[in-house]
Amino acid sequence: MSTPLAKVTIDGKELEVPAGTNLIEAAKKAGSAIPHYCYHEKLSIAGNCRICLVDIEKTPKLSIACNTKVTDGMVVHTNNQKVLEARQSVLEFILVNHPIDCPVCDQAGECKLQDYYMKHDLKASRMKEEKVHKDKAIALGPNVMLDQERCILCSRCIRFCKEIAEEDQLCFSERGNHNELTVYPGKKLDNPYAMNTIDICPVGALTSKDFRFKQRVWFLKEVDSVCPGCATGCNIKISHNKGVAYRLLPRQNEAVNETWMCDGGRFTFKPTNAENRLRHPMVRSEGALKVVRQEKAIEDIAKVLAAVPVSSILGIASAQFTNESNFAFWKFLKEVGVTDFYYQALEVSNPSQDDYLIHPDKNPNRAGVEALGLKALVEDKRYQLIFILGDLPSARLQKILLDRQRTVVVFSSHEGEGVELADIVLPVPTWVEENGTFTNKQKRVQRILPAFSAPAENKSVWEWTSLLAKACKKEKPVYQQINEVMADLSETIPDFKGVNPDKVGNQGFVLMS
Amino acid sequence: MKFEWTKENKKEIEDILTRYPTKKAALLPILHVAQEEFGWISPEVMEMVAQELDISPAHVYGVVTFYTMYNRKPVGKYHLQVCRTLSCAMMGSDRITSYIKKKLNINIGETTSDNRFTLNEVECLASCGTAPAMTINEKYFENLTEAELDKILESLE
Ligand code: SF4
Ligand code: SF4
Ligand code: FES
Ligand code: FES
Repeated sequence: MSTPLAKVTIDGKELEVPAGTNLIEAAKKAGSAIPHYCYHEKLSIAGNCRICLVDIEKTPKLSIACNTKVTDGMVVHTNNQKVLEARQSVLEFILVNHPIDCPVCDQAGECKLQDYYMKHDLKASRMKEEKVHKDKAIALGPNVMLDQERCILCSRCIRFCKEIAEEDQLCFSERGNHNELTVYPGKKLDNPYAMNTIDICPVGALTSKDFRFKQRVWFLKEVDSVCPGCATGCNIKISHNKGVAYRLLPRQNEAVNETWMCDGGRFTFKPTNAENRLRHPMVRSEGALKVVRQEKAIEDIAKVLAAVPVSSILGIASAQFTNESNFAFWKFLKEVGVTDFYYQALEVSNPSQDDYLIHPDKNPNRAGVEALGLKALVEDKRYQLIFILGDLPSARLQKILLDRQRTVVVFSSHEGEGVELADIVLPVPTWVEENGTFTNKQKRVQRILPAFSAPAENKSVWEWTSLLAKACKKEKPVYQQINEVMADLSETIPDFKGVNPDKVGNQGFVLMS
Repeated sequence: MKFEWTKENKKEIEDILTRYPTKKAALLPILHVAQEEFGWISPEVMEMVAQELDISPAHVYGVVTFYTMYNRKPVGKYHLQVCRTLSCAMMGSDRITSYIKKKLNINIGETTSDNRFTLNEVECLASCGTAPAMTINEKYFENLTEAELDKILESLE
């Protein structure tokens, strides 16, 4: 049964929307943006900020759009004189006690108070009285800072905690001029989704402990990606500038994460600029790994490949790497005759989990490597030559290596236990610098795009394997660009049939099987 | 001192709960029960109430701090709450407050050393027609003047 439609006229434009749609959403469809602070499409209606006042014909007073449902025949004006004046007055009220400390406020540049003031008000203050002062720079919890003076008391953050995070940790205390946002004395805002309050706070009252004072937001560029923190694969944006990632923000995908992400996921970009980052190809000589030219590393790998019987070669893919990296890795080794493959995954004891977004599997691409037909690593045989994507814990590695005359080739972005045991190391990008796809727990193939380039000598796995294929005198798999890897993947692996960059888009594409 | 519901409190709470559609809706009367029993609403009491009603302490805190009738500090035997809102302000509530301050030698929010009087300012007592107004405990005193105040304070034990 479909919902009945209601005909409504908004700013002269007639349109039909499902009856019961609120006026903010209906106006959006009509191309009229009604300003709003307290309204949020994912939260209950509070109707307290009054900035959304509109003029409805046959209604004596202005009405708040967020709490007005469209009825058939409604005629609405969102921009007439009466509405504009009301908007100015509301802004004047909101600004009565606002500190206007934009020059030192992290929200400046993406602040709805600034934006609406510039767009709808632009009047000088008539306030002569001293403003009410409240506390600033309060650590509400491990990740969120509060400036009580900047808060416009919209209650979005309170409703978020109650309704989405399901931990009712915030409230308003006192009243009138002294009304202020707070946690219960002695308690903390520490739920696993707390940082979403920073995103939905329309002003600079809630800011990120990690991000604040690092960058002016107008310097930041954004690129679409997917959180690698767990098998959910929340859709995100990476904010970055000059080769440095500064923060991750959730990006809407109704089928995956709606408009949210977890706090743990917000920090997954940190390793990109970490100290233990690998930046050069290395080959072991005289017992230690030494930086070499990339040609030397490639040559050495080709040499051992020629010398070792394929039955004693193992390829270990990784649930931490993209579909394309894993595929190119597998395809290259297959091409030189290797038949034994496993994949490794990040194993976490007592992983965080809940029945919302946080998945206990902390790998972004287990479904992807499994769709390639790979199985999780079992230590059942010893090999002379092992190729590994990522850093394998040394205890596990020791169990599958022959005691002598063994060679370990590792593709890794960071130093680690497995890298320490390696004989040849090829540096690769982190997910922040990578172009490709992850397959989440729903088997949804989702695109990650590079925020910036990896260090000069770091190459994607498919670039390394293309060089290796050439060095081994193979025609395949040699790729010039990521789209060729994707096309080959889609042609070769039945599960990936029909997957292409257009289909994957920015909302993902669910694998058939 | 440990805050604990008495048997009678528990019965009263149970009784109140039957009159509301949800537990949360009974918050105000239950806070009154608590205040009557303990004299004020301490943080411990807020948590007790939250537990009793299956709501968060944060919610209780928001409500307690919103309403001036809930004491967040122990008060004296007589709790003077002078209205400071518009009508009363225009009719001289300032003068009334200053007079009480001087007479009892306390500031707003303070209690006399003999624990008899506590003075507070509150928002509109809904007695604007007879401004300036104040309450002492549950009782209203209206059309206040300094002379009237002297009489009232003397009449109190
Ligand atoms: S802190 Fe931000 S989101 Fe929360 S009530 Fe204040 S303005 Fe609204
Ligand atoms: S729920 Fe998983 S995918 Fe989503 S933000 Fe958290 S760690 Fe990342
Ligand atoms: S958005 Fe409608 S009242 Fe706040
Ligand atoms: S203003 Fe004092 S009772 Fe209303």
